[in-house]
Amino acid sequence: MNNIPLIHFLYLAAILFGIGIFGVLARKNAISVLMGIELMLNAVNINFLAFARYWNWNSLSGPVFVVFVITIAAAEAAVALAIVISIYRHLRTANVDDAHYLRG
Amino acid sequence: MNNIVFYAIAGIVVASGLLSLTVRNLFHCALFLALTMFGISGVFLYLNSDFLAGVQVLIYVGAVTVIIIFGISLTRNMMDERTTAMNRQFLFAILGAVFVTAVIFAALQQSSFLTNEHPMAISLGTATTTGDVAQTTAASPAPVSDQVFQSVGYLADALILPQNGFAFAFEFVSILLLSALVGAIVIARKDPA
Repeated sequence: MNNIPLIHFLYLAAILFGIGIFGVLARKNAISVLMGIELMLNAVNINFLAFARYWNWNSLSGPVFVVFVITIAAAEAAVALAIVISIYRHLRTANVDDAHYLRG
Repeated sequence: MNNIVFYAIAGIVVASGLLSLTVRNLFHCALFLALTMFGISGVFLYLNSDFLAGVQVLIYVGAVTVIIIFGISLTRNMMDERTTAMNRQFLFAILGAVFVTAVIFAALQQSSFLTNEHPMAISLGTATTTGDVAQTTAASPAPVSDQVFQSVGYLADALILPQNGFAFAFEFVSILLLSALVGAIVIARKDPA
């Protein structure tokens, strides 16, 4: 049995979440922004499973929520890439800074 | 030995995650993202979630990365022009990410749940399928067993059995996934009727 303390998993998840935030804020390409969102969702998954393992595994709420997060992340990736392709077809760019039609 | 492998996996996850958002070439970004997801599935194995580790490899390494590579291929001309991969708020993004991570670290240092972290790791085999086992709180000391734990049956029972309360949400999220995929096809179609 491993004896890694819980907080190391939480540190790892926090670092991954920070990397995801950096990608969402700094990247130009919309697909890279999507990758940042995926990293943030996976950091949340690590947190769910870490708390489920170290606190009460018996309730199984943590793994169940991870299943839901993975499902919704997959749906979100599909819809977001469809939107990116549609924007690219209309504007000939996949740059989030160039798609500012709704800016007031 | 176990711990060394975990920290190596964690280092790979952090390094490839950082590379997947800083490398200029988008294909390399997608491949580093696949490596990150693979490492995260290894972290899931350390958390006694064998089924979810397999699901992670199947969905993220198999499906999401391939979808992202398809999207990169279909929107290709971003890599040819010699522009930067980052936008103008690059420094603010670094500041924001470091700030959020620092706040989470500070909150973790001061949190109260870390004082009683290890006595209740897992009580293997006692997880029944009824909902009232949620009452076994964190305070109950459970013996850490060495037997191989398989989470598939428990997870399936938690998702399917109606008395656990997740059955409706499980069915609903399947409908949500189906409608999202149909909507993605409609959005990305060539000529909307």
